[in-house]
Amino acid sequence: MLTVSRARFAYGQRVAVRDVSIEIGETALIALAGANGSGKSTLLKLMARVVTPQSGSLSFLGRPLRDWNAKGYAQQTGYLPQEPESSFPMTAIDVVVTGRAPFLTRFGFETEDDYREAAAALALCDGSHLAGRYLDEMSGGERKRVFLARVLAGHPKLILLDEPLAALDIAHTQQFSKLLREIVDRTRATVVFASHDLNWAAAYSDRIIVMDDGAIAADLQPSQLMNPEIVRRHFGFEAGAVEVNGRPWLIPKT
Amino acid sequence: MTREAAGFGASLVLVLLLVISFLIAISYGATSVSLRAAIGGDVTARAILFGIRIPRVATAALVGAILAVAGLTFQTLLRNPLADPFILGVSGGAAAGAAVATALGWARITGVVPVVAFAGALIATAAVFLLARRGSHTDPTRLLLSGLVLNAFFSAVILMAFALSRQSDLTAALRWMMGTLFGVSWFDVTLLAVLLLASMIALATMANDLRLLVFGEEDARSRGVEVERIKLAGFVIASVVTGAAVAVSGIIGFVGLLVPHLIRLIWRRDFRFLLPLCALGGAILLVLSDTLSRVIVTSAELPIGAFTALLGVPFFLSLLRRNS
Repeated sequence: MLTVSRARFAYGQRVAVRDVSIEIGETALIALAGANGSGKSTLLKLMARVVTPQSGSLSFLGRPLRDWNAKGYAQQTGYLPQEPESSFPMTAIDVVVTGRAPFLTRFGFETEDDYREAAAALALCDGSHLAGRYLDEMSGGERKRVFLARVLAGHPKLILLDEPLAALDIAHTQQFSKLLREIVDRTRATVVFASHDLNWAAAYSDRIIVMDDGAIAADLQPSQLMNPEIVRRHFGFEAGAVEVNGRPWLIPKT
Repeated sequence: MTREAAGFGASLVLVLLLVISFLIAISYGATSVSLRAAIGGDVTARAILFGIRIPRVATAALVGAILAVAGLTFQTLLRNPLADPFILGVSGGAAAGAAVATALGWARITGVVPVVAFAGALIATAAVFLLARRGSHTDPTRLLLSGLVLNAFFSAVILMAFALSRQSDLTAALRWMMGTLFGVSWFDVTLLAVLLLASMIALATMANDLRLLVFGEEDARSRGVEVERIKLAGFVIASVVTGAAVAVSGIIGFVGLLVPHLIRLIWRRDFRFLLPLCALGGAILLVLSDTLSRVIVTSAELPIGAFTALLGVPFFLSLLRRNS
């Protein structure tokens, strides 16, 4: 679905993504793991067409990204930034309905159908009660849910999420990890999400891509990640593995 | 549909208010003129009404609409509620141009000051935009900072120019600096009307993209917005119309800041609704300010720019307090 070939991006002198090549297949839940500053966010931005690679290229559905027009690409993809925000006060439902923006004509307004889609997406993210509330009156986790709903309102084929689980409480972390799996299974979309929570990533993902210093350090099956040796090597994380209900979980060493 | 209906309703209310303000504005002035007499064929009444008062009030409405629309556009582009043509140095550039023209004695030639002021506004815009540019990217914070710094520079130019100006030229220059609609003509009305209409059409074609900038430039890009293109276009449009408005009316501050915020307070909606509402709101505010400036003291004309600033400064300060 999406091919990244030798893509490189630097902020001034600091190289964030160095010559990364990967293939993202159809209908998959893919976790991007790696330490802070390892290049996860920048790789997601490259995929979302938010930044253009300084060398190398990307192609989506067999067509180079630079040949896609901006609206057309936005209709097929959805991107959740790490810290979504709004510079002027807006209600949740008004935020979510902007997920339909790439489908509007130049002078078009959202129809009742668009609002129905938005309300459904918000319900999926357990945020129906937030619909009329203003973003600046919400907690960080609630805001994340609103913006995740906004991504889903556009029914994208490729969903790119920058730390969707950060700032969520433990119950919502659990619920959303499952939700991402359900989205993939139900809509046949591909979700690529950055996450620091290795246990949840391994529990539901099909594939884990580990980044280190702007490059792909490992491309693993979830079961391979649940290995103290692997996580020490790639994350410097001292952990032991325990088996619960027939599958391994990482427990930090104290 | 209810949202559009409500937006339409709000526009209708403002249109009605604008018509009422307009009628009040042309009914009062230094000389009392009866509308009925003018319609009945009174030559003096006609001359005052159609030759002086109506073009003046129409100019007030157009300048108000332009400044409010420009303010809204700058606030949207820079994602900063405090942005307006004043703070970005556009007005300052125009004022510096006019001051230099005065110092050189060009102000005595009719029509030179507006042209030089307009040039000053465009030069200021280009300078601010170039200063804020890093590679192919324009950083909103740097834009605002560049505007502030250039304003300080323009203030210095204005002071120097005034020190070198002839005493007799200074009175007119000072009046212009304070903002005045004295002596505007049907030509000014036509020019501003064409510019306002063109800019609003252009902004309307970008409205669906501009409103998405509220979520940040990267986010907007992921929604299919060609950010750098609309930023450049919006900035040029807002600066050109501001330059023209300032050239005609002199420096009238705070309309661009005040009106979008007032409209947002009553009507928290996105750019597509704010665009027509701000134009109407700006027109109403300036028509009323101009009427007050003519009516409160009959022996002299109080500067209209001082009127809007007197209203704007307390508002601006309370806004700053709330934002911090």
